[in-house]
Amino acid sequence: MLNELAAKINAAVAGANAQVLQAEDAKCESSILVEGTQIHAVCAFLKSSGSMNVLQAISGVDYVEHLEVVYLFAKFDPAAPAQLLLKVRTTDRVNGNFDTISDLFPAANFQERECYDMLGVRFNNHPDHRRILCPDDWQGYPLRKDYVTQKNYNGMEVFPEGKMNMADREFIVRQDMIKKAQEAAAGKVQ
Amino acid sequence: MQDGIALTTLDEFFNWGRKNSLWPMTFGLACCAIEMMATGAAKYDLERFGCGAFMATPRRSDLMIVAGTVTLKMATRVKLLYEQMAEPKYVISMGSCANKGGPYWQHGYHVLKGVDEVVPVDVYVPGCPPRPEALIEGVMTLQKKIANERLLRDKWVKHA
Repeated sequence: MLNELAAKINAAVAGANAQVLQAEDAKCESSILVEGTQIHAVCAFLKSSGSMNVLQAISGVDYVEHLEVVYLFAKFDPAAPAQLLLKVRTTDRVNGNFDTISDLFPAANFQERECYDMLGVRFNNHPDHRRILCPDDWQGYPLRKDYVTQKNYNGMEVFPEGKMNMADREFIVRQDMIKKAQEAAAGKVQ
Repeated sequence: MQDGIALTTLDEFFNWGRKNSLWPMTFGLACCAIEMMATGAAKYDLERFGCGAFMATPRRSDLMIVAGTVTLKMATRVKLLYEQMAEPKYVISMGSCANKGGPYWQHGYHVLKGVDEVVPVDVYVPGCPPRPEALIEGVMTLQKKIANERLLRDKWVKHA
């Protein structure tokens, strides 16, 4: 079913370059990866062709090598219900951006804001492009693997040293990820 | 008794009145607020202790029950609300989150590690969330504290 849909997307949207990503585990769901620049056109096609009619969620993943935005679509049709995981990727951690789909699916408005808030992926032409959960003057994007929390906010200490065991605070795994991401970023600058 | 004379100090008389008419602010942040509502409702009935008149504005209340997780975003507002209350004012920190960050203590980048970082706390009520009995004990502890205050000598009443 996914292969059919990917073929349809490729036929309808030039340059969409849709390909099926097979899930590693049989219990997990396979997904379709499309070109980031064509996400608006692909979603417009999904909506107009009736393949999918509901946007259930937008979420984001940081894989260190690239940032990924995942759109979860559904088709609410008693005769043939369906679900689709649509993914787009960007390797640009500073200015990574996609076109908004909030003009097609109004539900995308807050979801894209959350994605921007947590992962720092920007959405072009978004009607209200602000942070949604963190304060407006918050620094950094908390769900990134290389996120380092700011020391102070508004005169308040985020991690008061007198109150906690600082040595125990960071997971070793996370330290590795931070190091990896910093090396990757340094390599890109050179 | 009608024509009798009761002798007491002015301080004790004031304190008796103040401790039995604590007006908390209607102010909840997270799940602890649900327990606070239960405490105020019929079964636990905080009104028995003269503490059930939840005011909808900081200007009319003299007790702030910080019930729930204080995020850094909210901490600024909590401080503002505390400053808007009229003296003398008291703060009960209810639940682990308000006491010291609770489950967000180690890795929660967004949570203030204890509301005592921004406002002075009188009574800490532990629990996650505390049962209504625990909050009632916290209120009674605060009442004992108020009963021992010397209001007329204190900084609050400067020209008494």
